[in-house]
Amino acid sequence: MIRNVRNAFTRRAVLMGGILVAAAATGLTAVSAQDATRLVIGTTADVVNFNPLVGNSRSDTWVTNLMYPRLMQMTAQGSKDPYVATDWGYSEDGLTAWLEIRDDLTWSDGTAFSAEDVAFTITAVTSEKIGVTAGLVPAFVSATAASPTRVEFVLSRPDSTFLTNIGFWMPIVPKHAFPEVGQVAAFANDKDWVSAGPFQLASVEVGQRYVLEAVDNYPLVEAGRATIDEVEFRVFPDVNAEALALRAGDLDLIANALPAPIAQTLNGQPGITVEQAPSLGWSHVLYNMQREPLDNVLVRQALAHSVDYEAIRAIAMQGLAQSTNSSVISPVLSYWADPAMEEYTFDPEAAKALLTEAGYADADGDGMFDDLELSLLYEQSAADIANWAQIMKDSAAQSGITINLVGLERNTYLARGREKDFDIYAGNWAVMEEPAAYLGLAYRTDGFINYASISDPELEKLIDAAQAATTPEAVKEQVQAAARLIQEQVYDNVLYYQTFQFAYNSDKWEGFVMQPSDLLSLVNPLSLASVKPKG
Amino acid sequence: MHLSGYVLQRLLRGLATFWFAVTITFFLVRLLPGDPVLAVAGPGMTEEIRLQQLALYGLDRPLAVQYFAYLRELVQGNLGISFLRSQPVTQVLMERLPWTLLLTGAALVLTVLLGIPLGVLAATRARGWVDQFVQVSGVIGQSLFVPSIGIFLLYTLGLMAGLFPIGGAVKSGLTGFAWYASVAHHLVLPCLTLVMAQLASYVLTLRSTLIEALGEEYCDLARAKGTPERTVVWKHALRNALLPTTTLIGLQIGFLVGGAVLTETIYAYPGVGRAIFEAVGQLDFPVLQGAFVLLAATVVLANLVTDLAYGFLDPRVRAG
Repeated sequence: MIRNVRNAFTRRAVLMGGILVAAAATGLTAVSAQDATRLVIGTTADVVNFNPLVGNSRSDTWVTNLMYPRLMQMTAQGSKDPYVATDWGYSEDGLTAWLEIRDDLTWSDGTAFSAEDVAFTITAVTSEKIGVTAGLVPAFVSATAASPTRVEFVLSRPDSTFLTNIGFWMPIVPKHAFPEVGQVAAFANDKDWVSAGPFQLASVEVGQRYVLEAVDNYPLVEAGRATIDEVEFRVFPDVNAEALALRAGDLDLIANALPAPIAQTLNGQPGITVEQAPSLGWSHVLYNMQREPLDNVLVRQALAHSVDYEAIRAIAMQGLAQSTNSSVISPVLSYWADPAMEEYTFDPEAAKALLTEAGYADADGDGMFDDLELSLLYEQSAADIANWAQIMKDSAAQSGITINLVGLERNTYLARGREKDFDIYAGNWAVMEEPAAYLGLAYRTDGFINYASISDPELEKLIDAAQAATTPEAVKEQVQAAARLIQEQVYDNVLYYQTFQFAYNSDKWEGFVMQPSDLLSLVNPLSLASVKPKG
Repeated sequence: MHLSGYVLQRLLRGLATFWFAVTITFFLVRLLPGDPVLAVAGPGMTEEIRLQQLALYGLDRPLAVQYFAYLRELVQGNLGISFLRSQPVTQVLMERLPWTLLLTGAALVLTVLLGIPLGVLAATRARGWVDQFVQVSGVIGQSLFVPSIGIFLLYTLGLMAGLFPIGGAVKSGLTGFAWYASVAHHLVLPCLTLVMAQLASYVLTLRSTLIEALGEEYCDLARAKGTPERTVVWKHALRNALLPTTTLIGLQIGFLVGGAVLTETIYAYPGVGRAIFEAVGQLDFPVLQGAFVLLAATVVLANLVTDLAYGFLDPRVRAG
């Protein structure tokens, strides 16, 4: 009996092994027969919304960016170049704006891309308050298609950032293929796509892949068509497995910025290139101005002198971070940055002097100021911040300041930040490329990302003046004055801007166009329309 | 108790368990920290939009009202609309369910196919080197963590040996036999991971119950009557020893579901487990609730089948 069972089991095992080997061989053959002009890109998340006006994640943006064009293109310095929009400007009083768009772009169903589409998109975005763009253009009143290629806007007040904000942040959608204004935000756009980018979404396998095919009429690249035939976004929720897939040749490129240890591992691998791109945002700590003693500028300045900035950048960030000179204008934005600004020095003695001046004392002689205990809120899963929060705590202790770390999961962290339930808030802003606009969002009393509850009439005056100025020079002057005031008052303590790392298979591909920030990086329409097989 | 009474009792118990699981899930999901609207729309949302979104999804209503509305919809087979995808939850889950059933089903079958002979081998050679090896391996196996096994297998068999793909469920653009072959090819590593993670429990449980059964009087009687030892083992002892293992299979389905969340995440496998992983991160309440309801139904159903099988195989259970 045992022999019979063993024999039966052995037979089944051999049969099963045979099937697996055959399957493996078939699969391997299929892999080697892969189309040479398909670029396979790894992402860590599925696309959750194909409506580009609603999609809120990087993975959504990477895919929809290839389908729905933006009006302007971002330069390495964060400024905007012509793209679909060829020219733009404001009236002398600043109350109207206009832009001209090119006349040779068509939607994938053959309909001409026109000024009507632009007017429709901004009307939907603002009236339905969709996404971040709605918050960026508070001065918008109305838009009209004056001709097939000219859009005119009425503004409630002069706003020098209006056109560049919609130029970069607002993908244009087809009026004829989207529902009426009032229903656009609820439109899933999950089939029968009508697009006007270098690639057209061809198939979706949820949880697995999104395949886009090159379109034949894309005038925004010289050849009139992307060099490659297809782009496939393949979903790898685990970044370690994603890196292994790149090494194994299953992926050609990883879209998301890599954690430093994985980037270091990939850097030494044959055939793989790791490229770097600067962030257009920054990492910082905010001090809750609604709470004592953080409403006291002397305490905030003491805290600014209690951060070991160099240690944070060298140790926690492994050298992949640069100083912004304690300015809210990153040096990456070279036109706007103020070279005269200097970073707060890590100086525990200066911090102690400021705290003594503010009335604090160490009565019990334990080396820590009495009645000065602060909490620092951060997102536990943000590995970089979790690392430097500890450094911040240790360096503050050298100034006699007790900081308790509160690491939370993402959703709780976001909710507590929004509810202003923190003393010190550690976080990142991803893309802050238009200074006059983001100063308004982050530091004006009613700014909707003013987490620190800053309310300073002098600062608001500067921000208003920057937004109302009609020449770049005048904007710059006000922006730099606002940045200096923010630094002096320590309304925001900017620690660094990050250097992101991205990896791709350089044995197989060349011609990528790197753009700044982890939102664009190597996976932007220009880059994917330009990349080609090597050799 | 008559068999029909036993079946009715178990059915009612299953329904009560399902209702309890649904209720607990509803409230647990809402106890998750964070604001689902914030998670969906991002921090750059105005308060006005936040309130609009809460109202749109009915999250501004009292919890009790939300609960009864949810039960009413559930009875009608409506699991709601995904916050993130603006799609019916049933559609979101039905796209994923076949992959999870394939993965967990294959893992369960393979575990049983491997577990029974290994358990018998260890029990019949108790205290021998084979038994020692199985026991030590079992203890190690029980302590293995699914992500560790996953990354290890990906690195060794996927990257180094190049035998299997690093992730996904099937290669694109295939049809016919090539498609099935690719599915099988992609299934090997995730399935092996789940098998490795749960095989030890089967083997060790079967080993101990079989050793106990082999010492029972009815086995001694069979031996005294001259029955060959292999018949004693496979025909008499194993039949009884398999009863606790049958229960374990039902329980292990729950483990498989939990293991599938991690396995599917590591292997980029497009199943319900990964949908849960994504929905937790994005606080997509309807998808989370729907996935838990689906899994609760699966586990309750599996346990019901196990109970019924047990009651059918062993009439003493019905009496108790």
